[in-house]
Amino acid sequence: MLGRCALAVAALAVACGPDANERTKPDRATEPRIVALAPAASEMLVALGAEDRIVGIGNWVREPEQLLRLPRVGAYDTPNIERLIELGATLVVTADSQAAAAAHARLESLGVSVLALNTDTHEGIFRSLARLGAAIGREARARELGGTMRREIDRLRVESATLPRRRVLVVVGRDPLYAAGPGSHLDEMIRVAGGVNVLEDATSSYVQASRESVLARMPEVIIDLSDNRPGALRGRQAGEWVHFDFLPAVVENRVWLVDPQRLAIPGMRLVEMSRLVARLVHPEALGAPDPHEWLVPATRR
Amino acid sequence: MTRRRSGPLTRARLASRLIGLASLLAAALLVGLANGAGEVSLARWLPWTPPLDPIERAILIDVRLPRVLLAALVGGALTVAGVAFQALLRNPLADPYVLGVSGGASLGGVVAVVLGVGGSGALAGLGVPAFAFGGALGALLLIERIATIGGRLTVYTVLLTGAIFNATTAAGIYLIQSLASLEELHAIVFYLMGHIPSLPLAALALLAPVLILGVLALWSLARSFNALALGEEGATQVGVDVRRVKRQTILLGSLITALAVSLAGLIGFVGLIVPHLLRLALGPDHRLLIPAGFLCGAAFLVLADLIARVLVLPAELPVGVVTALIGGPFFLMLLRSHRGAHGFA
Repeated sequence: MLGRCALAVAALAVACGPDANERTKPDRATEPRIVALAPAASEMLVALGAEDRIVGIGNWVREPEQLLRLPRVGAYDTPNIERLIELGATLVVTADSQAAAAAHARLESLGVSVLALNTDTHEGIFRSLARLGAAIGREARARELGGTMRREIDRLRVESATLPRRRVLVVVGRDPLYAAGPGSHLDEMIRVAGGVNVLEDATSSYVQASRESVLARMPEVIIDLSDNRPGALRGRQAGEWVHFDFLPAVVENRVWLVDPQRLAIPGMRLVEMSRLVARLVHPEALGAPDPHEWLVPATRR
Repeated sequence: MTRRRSGPLTRARLASRLIGLASLLAAALLVGLANGAGEVSLARWLPWTPPLDPIERAILIDVRLPRVLLAALVGGALTVAGVAFQALLRNPLADPYVLGVSGGASLGGVVAVVLGVGGSGALAGLGVPAFAFGGALGALLLIERIATIGGRLTVYTVLLTGAIFNATTAAGIYLIQSLASLEELHAIVFYLMGHIPSLPLAALALLAPVLILGVLALWSLARSFNALALGEEGATQVGVDVRRVKRQTILLGSLITALAVSLAGLIGFVGLIVPHLLRLALGPDHRLLIPAGFLCGAAFLVLADLIARVLVLPAELPVGVVTALIGGPFFLMLLRSHRGAHGFA
């Protein structure tokens, strides 16, 4: 009953616009009240300096630290609409998702704007940043950030262009073998790093890969993100790949066991991630990364 | 192929049929071993060719051979369990999963995925199968206890208990999925779709005798299965201890199913269509059906897994998708052309 009353009041608040909002937060009557449902969205909002506009976060948002005290409002594809209304959200920033399309339409019909960002690719990230900047009135900052990121990525590309083009395998799941294919942000990062994805001819961005194919294609670098357990083996070591000691990656000591959190969700950390991948592909030229670069700090868990 | 019209099953006839089917399995194994992603010819196995280089050795012996052998064992075990359950429950829809073993195994496996029980060292990768096997056995004991009424297991309560148990565990899995993280979700979905892993050969050497003993034990019940076609009362009248046969079948059939599911996930259709195909082709005698089921089920899954391995290279398909997509329509066609000739009809 209480929930329904709250919903009714909140719905009224939204329906009446800024006037009704005044009752709870009079000082922010004209400012957007933003909910960051997807991890990449929260990072972008903070980077754009809109941190103090965020009133709620999605269940899978794990950083930045300062947002974690905010109320959680459901997963990005199943937002809790009642909770969103209760918080007086005026803008929901989330990930583009087929599964969430109905929920997004419902929110729009309740007067909450939805900005669904596609951050699967580099270009998608730049475009998302620009759209988000426009939506919250920080175009200039968005342009500046986007420009810097582009320049950094281009510099990395130029730096790697003269280095040997290595065959790279990025493993995201072990049994069955599941790996990054064309169209994934990981594939793009391999190319920026001057490498070739051994699965570049696969048909989807993540593939259940044939173990035999992968072995026959003799990867020279293996970035293994398959173990997400806390305390799992990390670093520059062959792990279970040691069984295949004929692989150039094993022979030349370029198997890296990396925490998936480090490379899983692209967003504002695109440059940082791309640089990490480039150094994993060409450790001798660009410098092998320090252990802290693949060990996620304990606070994030 | 229609034994029904060619007189009773003599020892010679049984032997000749089984030798024929064994050669079919041998051929399937050869085809399975000869093909794959890595460009390695089967001729490289011949003793007078130069020794395998490390890449060929890894592809053929570490990856392909164990996978082909496990596909054969899993396919054989699921088919025999299907034959036995159909005979025991006198229900053509019975398959190895009908008793709730699949539900228990999947729930156990999914819990292991979420808890991150991977196993390490020599046990690497065996954490999930171990949990799945525990779940399957737990399900079996629970269902046996619930379905036993007044000291008797009735077909009706066994079927119903199994179906409801499977539905309940499915809900449990959805619950876990809805709370799982993105990475866990991937692992769960792949586990549930069915996949033949490349186990170390040593693990296969442990597993194979257990599965084969289970199959042989079920074969020893073949005469009782034949008698059960007369109904439980009829079987009792010709001297079959129905209660004992029921218990043994449920235990043995579930045991081999549990082993298969815990290693390879939920591979559908093998344990349903291969037994029916064999009933159509070989008639209703379980003395032949059970060993034939093992050989044909093994061959079927080896070939289905071959398709799963090579059809979309460099990617793979879940083998359960292949068995259902090929097996389903093929079986329906066959059923149509043999109307009335079915072992159950």
